[in-house]
Amino acid sequence: MESEGTESPLSGLVPVAEVFNSIRERTIAENSMVVLLQGLQGEVTTVDLRNECTARGRVVNVDAFMNVRLKDVLYRDRRGKLTRLQDLFITGRNVRYVHIPDHMDIMKTIQSQLAKIHRVRNFASHGGGRKEYSKKK
Amino acid sequence: MVLLKNLRPPTEGVRHEQAETTAVMNGQKLGCGTLYVAETRLLWFDGSGMGFSLEYPTIGLHAISRDVSAYPQEHLYVMVNGKLTGENEADMTEKAADDEEDDSSNSSCGDDDDEEAITEIRFVPSDKVALESMFSAMCECQALHPDPEDDDSDNDFEGEEYDVEEAEAEHGHADIPSFYTCDEGLSALTQEGQATLERLEGMLAHSVAQQYHMAGVRTEEANAEFEDGMEVDASAMEAGQFEDADVEH
Repeated sequence: MESEGTESPLSGLVPVAEVFNSIRERTIAENSMVVLLQGLQGEVTTVDLRNECTARGRVVNVDAFMNVRLKDVLYRDRRGKLTRLQDLFITGRNVRYVHIPDHMDIMKTIQSQLAKIHRVRNFASHGGGRKEYSKKK
Repeated sequence: MVLLKNLRPPTEGVRHEQAETTAVMNGQKLGCGTLYVAETRLLWFDGSGMGFSLEYPTIGLHAISRDVSAYPQEHLYVMVNGKLTGENEADMTEKAADDEEDDSSNSSCGDDDDEEAITEIRFVPSDKVALESMFSAMCECQALHPDPEDDDSDNDFEGEEYDVEEAEAEHGHADIPSFYTCDEGLSALTQEGQATLERLEGMLAHSVAQQYHMAGVRTEEANAEFEDGMEVDASAMEAGQFEDADVEH
């Protein structure tokens, strides 16, 4: 998010817009099933697009808008032709299905993703983290 | 196919610029020009200013293709939803919307745009090494244009920081644990909590003394005097160890 590496607003000086985008994305993510897809990072899976194409590759990142980034991809177009792609970015709007690998425990994945979000958020509230963005009370 | 004329470079928000880039649209070579990956749109035009621009919401996907058996040159592949009429972007998006409407009236389940036309564009830079930067720049810009029609995501975030404590106060429950500062925390402890705190602190002090024996590492001596375990035991050094250090070496 870029949005890759979205979880580092606390480790250095970051433009305010980026922090808010990150906060906004976390809020969106924790209120939708996208958290499950975010838990797929590192897994090999198939994404079915709305226009009948499919892409199979390793998940690099999924952001709150369901934009999916894959690498080492086997891409099948609508005519069934296969192509290899090194990196692929699919716009969230174009995603129809994301296949969840059989070996994944869906509940556990969702729970651990939500826990990550809460840990980051709580670190930034009173008692820890940088003070630049804390609200004056 | 109609292309736009007199295109100029964007004035701001250019995340990546790639000269000597050939554009191929639906298999047809358009010539050599410069690609601008800007935050507002994607722009390509040749030396005479003739080219086209793409709006990110219309881009379905983009990718780096290094498979020369599929296409003879390494390139950036971009799939656009809808046909590029070239007159202006409004035409193109309207066309895409029309396609969708036709489909939904024809098909039984309304929201699948099955037969929507697509445009395949390949940007072939002379410098293949630049493909990764081109790709990354597009990823960043694409992320700036989330789908405004997305009804599924709960977008009632209004630009304010999400304050956990505010939310907790509203909803009246605190199942998300928060951290306290030392002063706040001590006063919030019950008697039981206080006892637990004392016990844990005792355990911590005791365990620091054993720190030097941990992990099988042999060190000079364990010194329980230094409670935080951070200080070096100076007496372990030989007396006069540094006396022969000569500043003029």
